[in-house]
Parts: sequence; C-alpha cells; structure tokens
Amino acid sequence: MADQVDLSVSLGRGLRLRSPVMVASGTFGYGFDAHGADRTALGAIVTKGTTPGAREGNAPTRIAETPSAMLNAIGLQNPGVDHVVRVYAPKWATWDVPVIVNVAGDAVDDYVAVARRLDGVAGIAGLELNISCPNVANGLQFGVDPRMAAQLTAGVRAVTRLPLLVKLTPNVTDIVAVGRAVEDAGADGVSAINTYLGMAIDVRRRRPVLSRGSGGLSGPAIKPLALHAVWELAAALRIPVVGVGGITTAADALEFLLAGAAAVQLGTVNYVRPQAVREIHDGIAAYIAAHDLRHLGALPIRQARVEAHV
Amino acid sequence: MSLALAPAVVVQRSTPMRDAIELVVHHPPSAAAVKPGQFFQLAVAAPQTILRRPYSAAWADPQGGRIGFIFNVVGAGSGWLAVRHEGHELDLLGPLGRGFSLEGERPVICMAGGLGVAVFPGVVQALVARKRRVTMLLGARTSSQLLPADRFTGADVLTATDDGSAGYHGSVVNLFTSTLRGRVGVEAVDILTCGPTPMLQALIENVRQLGLPLESIQVALETPMGCGVGTCLGCAIPRAGGGYLLSCIDGPCVRADRIDWGRMTDAFHG
Repeated sequence: MADQVDLSVSLGRGLRLRSPVMVASGTFGYGFDAHGADRTALGAIVTKGTTPGAREGNAPTRIAETPSAMLNAIGLQNPGVDHVVRVYAPKWATWDVPVIVNVAGDAVDDYVAVARRLDGVAGIAGLELNISCPNVANGLQFGVDPRMAAQLTAGVRAVTRLPLLVKLTPNVTDIVAVGRAVEDAGADGVSAINTYLGMAIDVRRRRPVLSRGSGGLSGPAIKPLALHAVWELAAALRIPVVGVGGITTAADALEFLLAGAAAVQLGTVNYVRPQAVREIHDGIAAYIAAHDLRHLGALPIRQARVEAHV
Repeated sequence: MSLALAPAVVVQRSTPMRDAIELVVHHPPSAAAVKPGQFFQLAVAAPQTILRRPYSAAWADPQGGRIGFIFNVVGAGSGWLAVRHEGHELDLLGPLGRGFSLEGERPVICMAGGLGVAVFPGVVQALVARKRRVTMLLGARTSSQLLPADRFTGADVLTATDDGSAGYHGSVVNLFTSTLRGRVGVEAVDILTCGPTPMLQALIENVRQLGLPLESIQVALETPMGCGVGTCLGCAIPRAGGGYLLSCIDGPCVRADRIDWGRMTDAFHG
C-alpha cells in the first residue's frame, strides 16, 4: 500500500524529513501564506532568502512569463533576520514540518551574521546558503568561484551547529567543482539548482521587460538542465543532493530521485498548483509501492553513493 | 479567506462589446464569497504557458451561483480563455485580494478606461444597492468598444470616445474633469477607477490640480502577477514614502494616496 511506504530521508546532521518533497526558497514565503498546499505532505519548507536587515526588493517589473518558464528579479525582498527570529521562528516551533531558512547577503560577514543569529533558535531546523542569487548586486559571485564558495561555507559552518545546505548556481562552467568545494568546506548537502540567468525584451517598448534587465529563469523549461546537474553532482559528491528545477509532476520528481537526488524541492509550480505538494508526495509513494521498492533509497539508478543517507 | 480549488463550469460565452469576451461561470462558493473588486487566478492550458492569469470578477450572482469575467485577448493565456465555451471547466483560485471599500454616503464617480470597465458592473450594482448616487464614466477608443449602459442599472452613465463616435469627444479623464466641475461639489465625491496606467496618472494629476484629496480615490490595479497570494513578491507597486505594496494582497484595489505615482510603470501582460 502506498500509505505504508517509508518516504523518510536524512539530509545529514540529524535533519530527517518524513517526505522527500520540499518547497524551494522564494516560492513559499515563510510558510504562512501558501493557500491550498498540504503541509502534511511536506518534508521541509525552505524560506525566502533572508538577509541581516530588511530589504525592499527591486523596482517593478519583477516577473515575466516566458515559454514554459518564468523570469524573476525580486531582489531579495525580506523582513530581515531579526523579524524572522522574533516573529516567525516561535510559530515554526509549533509546526510538525521542519523549516530551513535560506540565508543571503552581499558579503561573507552578512551570511555569517545571519547564521550566527539563527543558531540555536527554536523552530529553525537548518540553513540553506543562497550563494547563487542572480538578482542582487554581487549575488552570484560566491557561487561561481569554488574557492569563494568554500570560504563562505566554512565561515558559516564555524558559527552554526544547524544542518547546512548550499544552493548552487547553474551559471558556471563546472558545477561539480563548486559542489566538491562546499562539501570539503563542511556543507551537509547541496541544493541544485538555482535559476538560470535570462532575459526578455518588450519589442513594442524596445526595452527589457524586467526592470533589472535580467532575471532568474525557473519552471518546466529548465528541468532537463537541472536534472543533468543533479546527475553529475550525485555521482561526484558524498553528501546528499537536493534536486530542484522545474518539477511539476510526480514523474518529474521521480526523475530527480532516479538521478540520485536524496530529496526534491518544488518551486514555480507552487504559484500555479498549491496542491502539487500532495500530488507529488502521493505519486512518489505510489510508484515505490507499485515497484515493490519499499523505501526511497532503492530508487537511484546508480546505487553506491546515495545509499548512505537514506 | 476561502479558496475555491474545485472546477467552475462555463455556462455562457458572449461578446459584450467589440474585442471583448464575457465568460459566465457557475461556481456557487466563489459567487457567494467574492466582493466587488476582488479577483481570481484562472488556470490556463495554452501551450507553453505556466502561470495563472488574474481577472477581476465583473459581477457575481450569489443566488444563481454565477460569476462573470470580461476580458480581451492580449496574449496566449487570454487567447485560450477566449475560446472556452459552455460546458468547459475552469480552474479558479480565489476570490483573492482586497476589493473596493464601498462604505460611505457621498456620491460616487466610477471611471473606467478601456478594459478597466471589466470590474465595474458588480461595483455599481453594490453601490446602488447601498443607495449611493453613482455616475459611471466610460472611456473607449470608439463607440463599439463601450460596454452598454444597461450593464449599470441605477447609475448615470456618461461616455467618452477618442474618435468622438459616442458621447464626449476626448479622454475619459477630461470628461471626468468637466463632469466634476459641472455636477457635484469638488470635495464631496468618492472616486473608484480602473484603466491603463497613463490614464490613472492623468487622473491623479487632474485631481491634484483640482485640489481634491487623493484619499478620496480608490484604484483597481492591473499588474503582472505570479502567485496571487503574496508569496512570489512579483506584483510590486511603488508605495508612497518608499518600498512597495503587493498588488495581490495589498490590492488590487488601493487608495490612491498609498501609491507613489511618479514611480509607477505601465507594464502589464496577458
């Protein structure tokens, strides 16, 4: 029976999820306003990128639809880490789904300050370092250079005992090199991938659609690209890889799990079909039951590396 | 907030004016819940589209369980909606956002430019039911693009066309200015409006020159929108005093003094 399948997964350092279905940073807010999503099907919530101080975000226009995808340049609009600790964390502490705070900033000190503030706070289950935001000045710099990515990861690792994911950018020549660097620097897992840099131009007005010119591309159009990155990372890393990029159906999620992802994050689909969380959870369970696999660890096509974290 | 994820069924499709489509859907919980000025996120299945499309309810009939949507074809999503017919199912998310505040006793001027008229049949009906005196100002390029006056029972309807083919020859903002001077006291009206951003900016400029407070104006905003529920932060509107409002949860109906009109952009999509 599908409801007896064990869908639990460990992302390291004691972070155990009851389901491999997570929601991606920026697509679920801080978990309070996602109408229609079924939290009982969720493995974890990853919050909006959070910086030391509050940020207003970019001028409109911030989003645009493109074929089977969307561009966004929100610009890390968020209330700042103090608000998260004071107002949100006490509520999360009463929830039965772990909340992972996505951490962002302009400099190593920003990330370290946010991580230090969040360490030991009840209601916060882990951190995801956003070293790959394409929509703020210098947002990408940490994610494209393995040495800087490692330096940032080590800096945060030194000030927190929380499970630590690092969200990788695909806007690099060799994503595996960055993945290896953050693994060696103490990351407990990687999330792959963040958005691809892209743009759209308004031909009538003869100007970029987005106020910043470029933005991050997400949605079904990037799924094959994300899947390839996960395939490469899962073969190369010892730590879990969380697959994210254009997942819309249970079949999409299964592709990532078969490619070696320990868990998946749903992103753009949350804007369109809040019920996707439940549908994808149930679809994975049904697949495992139908194929007599019993647990997630039996899914990856290449077995050796991933078995360790199930 | 009650949300309707169950499918609605199209029960009527018509062309209420040139270049516009009106779809009437049967969905009793939404018809009972929606307030004038609120919107729904409609799922569209056009190839290569992914986001829902935000549409204000044009009107609702709670007894009959029906809601009307009036729109024109501006892109793939609205093109897909335009070929829905009786019996087709629609996936509605809503009602969402803040509608117009209809409280008060002063006369009301409703002012619509182009497809901005789509929100007003239900608004006027609700105002008339509250015994408020309503003047409906309709602006369009030409007479065939005006929604018929019988959609605004109980209101005085005045029209303006760019080509002079019906009513006032010129913009609806100029019609507004002359109406306001001619018919009612300057401090004594509430104004509800929806239309293209340049029209709204012209209105704001005129109102400032007339010495009217912006607090007396409510605007139904049209912006590009992602989720419609406050999560994606995509539908930012410049807020007076700095920062941004979100059209989906702070609006779409917003008091005009809360907006920084100098920073407004005129982008929208379909």
